[in-house]
Amino acid sequence: MNLSELLRQAPDDRTLNLWLARIPYAAYLGLRAQVHGQQILFTMPRNDKLVGNPTLPALHGGTVGAFMELAGSFHLLARMEKPSIPKIIDFSLDYLRPARLRDTYAECTLTRQGRNIANVSISAWQTTPDEPNAIARAHFLLSDYD
Amino acid sequence: MSRSDAEKADFLRRMIKYIPHAGELGMRVERVAGNELTLRLPWREDLVGNPETGAIHGGVITTLMDQALGTAGLVHDDVPPNITPTLDLRIDHLRQSPRGADMFATARVYRATSRVLFVQGLAYCESPDKPVARATGSFVLRGEIDLQRILSPEET
Repeated sequence: MNLSELLRQAPDDRTLNLWLARIPYAAYLGLRAQVHGQQILFTMPRNDKLVGNPTLPALHGGTVGAFMELAGSFHLLARMEKPSIPKIIDFSLDYLRPARLRDTYAECTLTRQGRNIANVSISAWQTTPDEPNAIARAHFLLSDYD
Repeated sequence: MSRSDAEKADFLRRMIKYIPHAGELGMRVERVAGNELTLRLPWREDLVGNPETGAIHGGVITTLMDQALGTAGLVHDDVPPNITPTLDLRIDHLRQSPRGADMFATARVYRATSRVLFVQGLAYCESPDKPVARATGSFVLRGEIDLQRILSPEET
């Protein structure tokens, strides 16, 4: 099964996780997805390899951002009528508190899906969704013009 | 007296060595020229975002840019050596990176206040004229941390 065939299947836990496992960098981060009705909970498991500050210790901020970008693209993909790999256009990330060496979670909101471009908001937390470690906003290109 | 580029590069290497994930990704210091630094990220299969093209995932570029911009203060003549947590980061993804190509990230502080650094940077593979990404970020100066002590040669 190639990637585009995989994308045409209905979004469920199995498809999403199979898909995550096929993107090398998502597999490197060990990302997992759980579908809860309309929402998808993404998890980046605790991993010593991702430490940016060994004194605290805290996760490298870049990996939290990377996790959020991946969550945004998969959240989008699960909602596309004709799924294809979304291309990141730009990414804006606000860090609110350091991410500790533990599991990190992310949920997304599809703020606007146009014909060609989608705007996705992503929130990442470790203890409770009310205390996000970082929030982000991303634009994705839905079809390939290049 | 301001430090030489070689002294700055040496200090930057110790900082990168202190950060486990930077080492994990194989990041290294390519060069320091005046107030500008360049990091190198070797291409690796497990960092790919699109297995059909071999392009490095945008999230890896986020990490590279966070690292480059976040350490730009260390090579700037007017900025005290310090830990600079990221306040925010904005990345424009300009083109996909080619399979097998190492990526470089340059960064420079273009305004330093007593509490905040405003930094910008560029990521490219073959040439800076064909950038893969452009980044802008704000970083907080944490004056209370003695980075010279943390990164002293005895401890590295």
